[in-house]
Amino acid sequence: MSAASVVQQARQERRTLLSEIEAKELLKEAQVASTAPVLARNPDEAAKLARQAGFPVVLKIDSPDITHKSDVGGVKLNLGDEAAVREGWASIMASVQKAAPTARVSGLTVQKQARPGVEVIIGMTKDAQFGPVLMFGLGGILVEVLKDVAFRIVPLTQRDAAQMVREIKGFPLLQGYRGSEPADVAYLEGLLLRLSEFVDKHPEIKEIDLNPIFAYKAGAVAVDARVVLEPPEG
Amino acid sequence: MLAAPPPASSYGRRPLGERMIADLKAKLQRAFNPRSVAVVGDKKQSDYMWLNSLAHFQGKVYSVQIDPKEIPGIEALGVPNYKSLLDIPGPIDYALVSVPRPVAPRVLQDCIAKGVGAAAFFTSGFAETKTEDGLLLQASLTKMAQAADFALIGPNCMGPYVPGIGLRNNTDEAWGVSGPVAFISQSGGNLVNFSQAAAASGIHISKAVSYGNAIVLDSTDFLEYIVDDPDTQLIGAYIEGVKDGRRFFRLLRENAGKKPVIIWKGGQTPDGARATSSHTASLAESMAVWEALMKQCGVLRANDVDEMVDTVKALVMVKPGVGDRVGMVSMAGGSSVTITDTFGRAGLRVPELSADSYRKLGSFFNIIGGSYRNPLDAGQTFRSADLLVQMLETLRDDPQIDSVVLEMAARRGDRDPKLMEGLLPALQRFKEGTTKPFLMVVSPPQRVEHYERYAQLRDELTARGIAVYSTSQRAAATLRRVVDYYRFRQELQAG
Repeated sequence: MSAASVVQQARQERRTLLSEIEAKELLKEAQVASTAPVLARNPDEAAKLARQAGFPVVLKIDSPDITHKSDVGGVKLNLGDEAAVREGWASIMASVQKAAPTARVSGLTVQKQARPGVEVIIGMTKDAQFGPVLMFGLGGILVEVLKDVAFRIVPLTQRDAAQMVREIKGFPLLQGYRGSEPADVAYLEGLLLRLSEFVDKHPEIKEIDLNPIFAYKAGAVAVDARVVLEPPEG
Repeated sequence: MLAAPPPASSYGRRPLGERMIADLKAKLQRAFNPRSVAVVGDKKQSDYMWLNSLAHFQGKVYSVQIDPKEIPGIEALGVPNYKSLLDIPGPIDYALVSVPRPVAPRVLQDCIAKGVGAAAFFTSGFAETKTEDGLLLQASLTKMAQAADFALIGPNCMGPYVPGIGLRNNTDEAWGVSGPVAFISQSGGNLVNFSQAAAASGIHISKAVSYGNAIVLDSTDFLEYIVDDPDTQLIGAYIEGVKDGRRFFRLLRENAGKKPVIIWKGGQTPDGARATSSHTASLAESMAVWEALMKQCGVLRANDVDEMVDTVKALVMVKPGVGDRVGMVSMAGGSSVTITDTFGRAGLRVPELSADSYRKLGSFFNIIGGSYRNPLDAGQTFRSADLLVQMLETLRDDPQIDSVVLEMAARRGDRDPKLMEGLLPALQRFKEGTTKPFLMVVSPPQRVEHYERYAQLRDELTARGIAVYSTSQRAAATLRRVVDYYRFRQELQAG
């Protein structure tokens, strides 16, 4: 799927929220490395895909109507074998049925669990005065509480990317703290610059949320991705 | 993140082509350098405020007033009065319109027909009232001006202030003097406050404008014109919200590294935002984006009129520097620790001096009652102007020191008037002969009877080109701000 066809598909279905699979497909154009979820329509398929991907795996609800998967019990981590996968399937379906009974569910996605790294968040929102703005910060659930984030208005220069990463209070964690692996800061800066260019070229994208990104000593991987499109013109 | 996008304007959200920008600049050139000005609707009730503001204007002044009761008073001022703009012989470069709200559209029509370069509408009662009538009337004015591509300033504003040619928007403002700083303000009150506070520090304005509701021309448009003005070396602005943020961002990115821009952002807190009468709702969350803009463009930030004037002073009077290590001379031991903390809190350092400096200082310092570590406690050693200057020179010559700060009490002059006499020219020579930044802190006294002596000293130092700050906090915060700006500029030139 190309970026254009992803957008077209969503437009045809009168949707502005892309699924995780669609979002990650779209962001390939910006060379955002991400874990590759594959859709399973039933527990058997899930088990097969899990064996193919290699344990442990992560199961996530796939629905165009669910934006925050964890909130509806739609994510199960660290599933070490087929039995865990089947149990996880049942558990997620039950949770989601209860928390979001009207949501359209296509199935669950299966992906290999990413090796832990430093959790960061990169996002894009549109400011009514200044247009697209990129955000960088410490990710995971921390971002909601600590709000340790930095903003820069698109288009970013190299200096902007370098500064915004170093601006967050948690920057020492990216440099490797108390024996834990440092993060590939240069890679994160490059990612910010590529996203800046990408966003500039795609005014039809309203919001991007890459949270969490696991940053490693070499490279980084977007574990989850959320993209919202602008409403269609006219 | 913010509320609904602000309304468009012809010079606003539509991308401005080269031709439109040239046209805009030509119109503003007429507004800021008018040879002829018309005042529409001035009245005795306001003491002919506008006509009196123009009493020292270098060009021609005309009045337009149809009320027969007002005309004799106007003519008594020596100003020719006409019943309509269209009756005035010759061109009108700039018009100030102060008519009742319902008449405003008719007068705008006349401005357009007359081919006035630009007009500022002092008339208020538009969108800032948040009433339906006000909004409708504003919309009709906007539509008319946009259709004619007319350079409308305001409404609800005071318009341009160019002291050098006597184009004032208030009778309290200075005239006949001009200086290096331009000021673009969404609020007329803040413009007056700034010009008065700056003048008290010996700093004058090149061109300024109060632009009010900005239905056609916004801060971005004035910036577009002012960045190329050869009479302007630096630009201050009081802004609550901008209409064409993308163009604003681009313009600042291209220019703030060449000509310093200081932005005083109004409506930074939720209550502050509610207090703004601007066309855009500036919410607290958007401050993070404004801060990003300032960092990305090298814009200096001021949070009130004091910080604005302090920063302007430093940019005009203090030599540029990119280092954060300060060498200080302070008057009494107690304040040494405090002043060091103050500078530390501002993100500056007060480091140890070099061995060489200590050797030089040891040879003339009176250690009893005074320390010669940095900050130098000069209380007792300050027996002669020469000694004090030697201390300052030692700091200046120390490779571990980037800026020099002298904290002095005005009272010293009372005890030793001859000392002060010799000191002021010596300080001036020191400042002029030094490439490193030099600032002074002279604090207002506690007692009223000492105030005059303090003001005298402060003004004399200022007249000699020395930047004087009333507290060490203000000196420290200002130094930090300008150092960051010069670093930004240095990076720009290197990269």
